[in-house]
Amino acid sequence: MSYSIWNAFQKEAGAELLKLLRAPEFFIPTLVMPSGFYALFAIALPGSNQNAEYMLATFGVFAVMGPSLFGFGVGVANERARGWLDLKRASPAPGIVYIASKLTATLLFASVSLGLVYVIAGFGAGVVMEREVWVSLFGVQLLASLPFVLLGLTLGFSFESNAAVAVTNLVFMVMSALGGLWIPVVIFPPALQSIAQLLPSYHLAEIALFVGQAPGTHHVMQSLVVVLAMTGGLAALALFSWARQRSS
Amino acid sequence: MLDEKTNQPAIIATNLVKTFGRTRALDGVDLEISAGGITALLGSNGAGKTTLINCALGLTAQSKGDIRVLGQKSGHALARQSTGAMLQNSDLPDLLTARENIELMASYYPDPRALDEVLDLCEMREFCDVQYKKLSGGQKRRVQFALAIVGRPRLIFLDEPTTGLDSDARRILWKTVRTLAEQNVTIILTTHYLEEADALADRIIVMNEGRIIADAPTTEIRDTVGGALIRCVTRINARQLATLSAVRSVNFAGRFVEILSADAVASLRALLEIDPELSDLTIERPSLEEAFLGLTNRANGKTDP
Repeated sequence: MSYSIWNAFQKEAGAELLKLLRAPEFFIPTLVMPSGFYALFAIALPGSNQNAEYMLATFGVFAVMGPSLFGFGVGVANERARGWLDLKRASPAPGIVYIASKLTATLLFASVSLGLVYVIAGFGAGVVMEREVWVSLFGVQLLASLPFVLLGLTLGFSFESNAAVAVTNLVFMVMSALGGLWIPVVIFPPALQSIAQLLPSYHLAEIALFVGQAPGTHHVMQSLVVVLAMTGGLAALALFSWARQRSS
Repeated sequence: MLDEKTNQPAIIATNLVKTFGRTRALDGVDLEISAGGITALLGSNGAGKTTLINCALGLTAQSKGDIRVLGQKSGHALARQSTGAMLQNSDLPDLLTARENIELMASYYPDPRALDEVLDLCEMREFCDVQYKKLSGGQKRRVQFALAIVGRPRLIFLDEPTTGLDSDARRILWKTVRTLAEQNVTIILTTHYLEEADALADRIIVMNEGRIIADAPTTEIRDTVGGALIRCVTRINARQLATLSAVRSVNFAGRFVEILSADAVASLRALLEIDPELSDLTIERPSLEEAFLGLTNRANGKTDP
């Protein structure tokens, strides 16, 4: 057991994965829900086949959002409430190792969740795309977890553990439903459409739709700028909430 | 005495103040703890023991004053590398085993102890592969203790380490603490139990309402808070009782009066002289609370409630 940040990171990331694998009541629903919903919307419902490609883009964002929001929002709030973070702060553990390890576990988890959706899309819903498109869509959707991770961190630092579960669930539902991840925003009434413009989930879905070459026009540049700005804002918010809970 | 690795005293606090809203949790603490030895912080709940430790660990920022740990600003990375801690309310990840928790904490330190050494020192092989959430309360505290020592720290903070431990577990922990002290590690612990301070510490610091009200080698403190508790029913009032020979403090509990005395025979002789009719008399060794009541009442400048 010798010291280096790399060694600490390996141990910590391993511990994060173990914690995840030992909580099947968390990881199974989180894994199954996106692919299950996708199968329902893109295969089972009548007339759904022509939407399979469109929904692959939006459900992929949905699939990475769950692990990111819950892993950080609920996970951090819990570990803070039980005093585990205090003990880590008193120890020489670098804060960056904690975040990096959680992020690694989350991205791995999100990849599996995303992979399940892709398997259903490719083999069940008959989505046909070129290999480069599959790969770039995967990359974009995996990167989409970053703003949600930052949002989750903010929630985890701001709420006590029980409240964090409730608030994270609420955020998750709003982001999914109003961001157009389940049902296309274009069929929303105008008022709801303008709310969608305020949500990172909507803009991330727009980018994914563009990259996945889904039907319809997608303002990719505009959404990209909005997403970058929102991610910056969420990073600032996460830093602020971290500093605030630290000093209390 | 300076620490042999860092060449610094363990703790130097200068006029340390911490306020929470209107409460002064620490109210001007001046303190130097040299390296090596076991120091016990005693005091009732809210006396400021935990706040002092949290300031030393850099978990709580002081409102005023200064605290240096092994020559560093508290919370500095170099200080943390040489520090181990067992906090009062700090649970470990539920789904990791004791072994995994220890290995994780070890990975943060530059020169940690080997896992086997920790398991032997803490005598916890039998439950080291059980998930933390399945351990008993006492076993959980023992894993937390193992985490405090795995980094081979020069300075160890133990905040009420034996609360909730059975006598066997307490004996093991005391033994380990003594072993570490023999290796010139500095240990600072808080406790409610006078016998624990008595059994372990070379120096006792008594805190009350954010101040240090007594600070002396263990043998001296024991004499100060020792004595006897006289309990009886008497018609003599508190002021007069307080003037009797060897009386330290007087408290009323219902119809009883409790007199803390440095010399029970002398106090009782004087008391019987002025009140031959006193009744329901018992004499016992004071518990820690009663001994403290004596000390803290004096610190607060009052003799009866």
